[in-house]
Amino acid sequence: MNAIKHSLYAAAAVLAVSAGPSLAQTTVKWMHLEVNPAQIKIWEEVAREFEAKNPGTKIEMQFLENESYKAKLPTLLQSNDRPHIIYSWAGGVLKAQVEAGVLADITDQTKDTAATISAGAMSAFTRDGRVYGLPFAQSQVGILYNKELMAKAKVDGSAIKTWDDWLAAIKALKAAGVTPLTVGGADKWPLHFYWTHLAVRLGGKAGFEAALKGQNGGFEGEVFQKSGDLMKQIVDLQPFQNGFLGFKNPQSTGFFGDGKAAMSLVISTVYHQQKALAADKVGITDDKIGWVNFPSVPGGKGEPTDTLGGINGWLVTKGAPKEAVEFVKHFVSKDVQMRLAGAGFLIPVVKGADEAISNAFMRNIAQNLARSNYHQNFYDQDLGPSVGRVVNDATAELAGGSMTPRQVAKAVQDAFKQGN
Amino acid sequence: MSTTALGRAATSGKLTAVVLFLPPALVLFTLFVILPVGEAAWYSGFNWNGFGRPTNWIGFTNYDYVFEARAFGLALRNNVLIIVISLGIQLPLALTLAILLAEKFRGAVALRMLFFLPYVLAEVATGLIFSFVYDGDYGLLAGVWRFFGAEPPHLLASTQTSMLAILIVVVWKYFGFHMMLFIAALQGQDQHLVEAARIDGASRWQVLRHITIPLLYPTIRLSVFFAVVGSLQLFDLVMPLTRGGPADSSQTMVSFLYSHGVTRMRIGYGSAIGVILFVICVTFAVTYKRWFMRDD
Amino acid sequence: MTDAAAASRPPFDRAALYRWLFLLFVAGFVAAPLIATLLGGFKSLGDLRTNPFGMPREWEWSNYADILLSKRYWRMLWNSFVISSLTTIITLIVAAMAAFVFAHLRFFGSRMLLNYFTMGLLFPAATAILPLFIKVRDLGLLDTYFGVVLPQVAFALAMSILLFRRFFRDLPHELLEAALVDGCSYPRFFRFVTLPLSTPILATVGTITFVHSWNSYLLPLVMLNSDAMYPWPLGIMVYQGEFTADWHLILAFITLTILPTFLLFVLAQKHIVAGLTVGAVKG
Repeated sequence: MNAIKHSLYAAAAVLAVSAGPSLAQTTVKWMHLEVNPAQIKIWEEVAREFEAKNPGTKIEMQFLENESYKAKLPTLLQSNDRPHIIYSWAGGVLKAQVEAGVLADITDQTKDTAATISAGAMSAFTRDGRVYGLPFAQSQVGILYNKELMAKAKVDGSAIKTWDDWLAAIKALKAAGVTPLTVGGADKWPLHFYWTHLAVRLGGKAGFEAALKGQNGGFEGEVFQKSGDLMKQIVDLQPFQNGFLGFKNPQSTGFFGDGKAAMSLVISTVYHQQKALAADKVGITDDKIGWVNFPSVPGGKGEPTDTLGGINGWLVTKGAPKEAVEFVKHFVSKDVQMRLAGAGFLIPVVKGADEAISNAFMRNIAQNLARSNYHQNFYDQDLGPSVGRVVNDATAELAGGSMTPRQVAKAVQDAFKQGN
Repeated sequence: MSTTALGRAATSGKLTAVVLFLPPALVLFTLFVILPVGEAAWYSGFNWNGFGRPTNWIGFTNYDYVFEARAFGLALRNNVLIIVISLGIQLPLALTLAILLAEKFRGAVALRMLFFLPYVLAEVATGLIFSFVYDGDYGLLAGVWRFFGAEPPHLLASTQTSMLAILIVVVWKYFGFHMMLFIAALQGQDQHLVEAARIDGASRWQVLRHITIPLLYPTIRLSVFFAVVGSLQLFDLVMPLTRGGPADSSQTMVSFLYSHGVTRMRIGYGSAIGVILFVICVTFAVTYKRWFMRDD
Repeated sequence: MTDAAAASRPPFDRAALYRWLFLLFVAGFVAAPLIATLLGGFKSLGDLRTNPFGMPREWEWSNYADILLSKRYWRMLWNSFVISSLTTIITLIVAAMAAFVFAHLRFFGSRMLLNYFTMGLLFPAATAILPLFIKVRDLGLLDTYFGVVLPQVAFALAMSILLFRRFFRDLPHELLEAALVDGCSYPRFFRFVTLPLSTPILATVGTITFVHSWNSYLLPLVMLNSDAMYPWPLGIMVYQGEFTADWHLILAFITLTILPTFLLFVLAQKHIVAGLTVGAVKG
């Protein structure tokens, strides 16, 4: 009976909302990819606060899983009633979106907020002096490890400094019967971290910029071929979980959270996501989890402090109500940033908000990012929608053994030349 | 009323009917079926991301890219594989079951319905069900392997086995449809011939071999036709299972078109794939109808 | 039938035994995944992992109840229902009208026009999905029911027109002649004579169209953008993306989404089988 009553009320509520215009309701459609219910809960609170402060505005959250989102976005953006706020990793994908004219220029409305955000993060969302979105988090790619499992093979994760250290650790883990690495190979991009982080170490900033200009053979040049060779060294050790090419990223994250693999080369946010995606919803606790930066590579021209990672932000699409911009500004306000940082969900971009980071893990990441002189954005975003996808395809094929390092480099360079 | 008057009335009524009844179908069909095919041919000459109008004409380059793509070769191979399995396993299975179940006995109808059921279920649901069956951690297959104390395989995760896994699902889903086709045909057959042959002392096998099956040839040809056409369209099933992966090993023509054309908004490239698929479909349908189904 | 009631024969009949073994094997092959899905929805995740085949150790009714009480489940089914119903109704009306013309009227180019429609049988919608997307976008129909419905109708027309035409032609021709003599117009004849006599073919075409539309994935996937519009095949994929490895919940969700199809199938199996097989044959 209660249930019926309940659904009747719900129906009435729906009718009331759909009769919107008379109530002068503005609905802001916000599309996000977050899988951790604990973080979504805070986001919802933020949305409710905003609604309370802005009567007549409704924030409507819509979720798409990361990979589905990337597949859907190109068609999504062509629609007239696209979401008003969308997730972005900046880079070449953002550039393509700007060129396609689907984003709103929010330079003027966000001047005050932009001044509070670190210049580096802000520049990622600026094109030719115009601002198209606001960043809200930074992240780093590195090796997340499970101290208990590492101990089984008598490996100290924090002592992994060089490429050979890492290979030795993997071999030791294998010998001890522990799955050394887990990766969401079905989504492909988790595999591209290997190739691209190697390129960051081998070529440094100069190497990447030269490739963009087509110098030294572009992405077919020595740096990238060597990246493939080294990645293949890892692949040849067969370090990944059984069936890794069929694991989507959330599955792999859950696999790590369940304590079934010792390490994973991941984005720093996996630190909290593994808790949510573990079968027991607890995951690997803080005392058992460790983080070490990607090892240095012999002969590499990059600095050991160089980082690979993302700058995540919210874009406002063309035709969105002005409340959408206001909400994004609210979302990156110092107060909200500190709340999310304090809860250990992100590395904030607002100046001074990093003081709120309470746990050692996230503080370490923040320091790494602060020390870095060359922060490379994820290739699959940075190189634009088509080339980026090819990087993912090709590195996944390398991991699957169906492409050689040479072919990978050639495929990326070909895509770069095709440019479509 | 004179006959000419009636004729005229009928003619004018005829005109009204044509003008009233035909346009809706004609407009819809032209707009959403014929025009898009023509446009696909046109767009396939451009490098275009869908925004604005296509301006960057690159001729047949998109076709070069498609033919060079490893995924295209794999998709083509997989489509052929599906056809081979459909003809080599699914069809004989369906035929055998039809012959067994066309007879009347207790349970025959229930079994027919059970075997037909997978055909009615949506491909997406079927794909998800089997992604559970194949799941290396929680799946049924993993359960069987563990029962024998073996490390469970991840069929969908290996470039070697992903297509095999999909082929099994294809048979699971579609054999019931073909079986039903055969049962319908068998039930329409003239039983006198069979009875006459039996009276003349022919064995059951001889009757089957020389009377029943030859009478089914038109249905078999039809069944082959559906198997091929179905294989060329296969997409919904692949998405929940593998999305064409790993490393494009289970790509079909349509999933290739989706993952490399639609999701990357490469309108020109995707249209080129569409045109190639179109040519394959039409060539097959026309030749098959001309060569094999002329008398049906 | 010579060997009717094989089951009642003595058990030493080897052929019958093998036949039953074979049938049971196939039945197991077909039914096992379905039953495991249904039961899996009642298990906890741990139970599912250690005990994929058996009965649930504890019946977790909440897996199903939570979904049944959620708005998203009903919204998905409602969207599917609206899309499939609209597709079916429009297809029936438009195709029957066109087929009526082709069945009863000869005019200059009628043969050619019929062949024109027949071309629709030769290729799937996927071949032109990108231009179709551009067209629907330009018409402003992205993320609307009609953005999916109209292309679906268009692609269902070829087969439907052929089926209708064949049926209409088999109706006694004297009826039409008599009606015309009595001064009945073609449209009136169509409305008051042809359609009432055509229930079987309407049911057949209606079933094919409805089932195809209910199950369709590619068109909605490309044309629809928001949760609120998603039919169930899209909704279930989003659900799976959200609950990745919580297989017990996903299985419960799958079971509940295929339940309508299953019920319909059980209730109207004759029509569905006839519609999907005989319909296919005659097309």
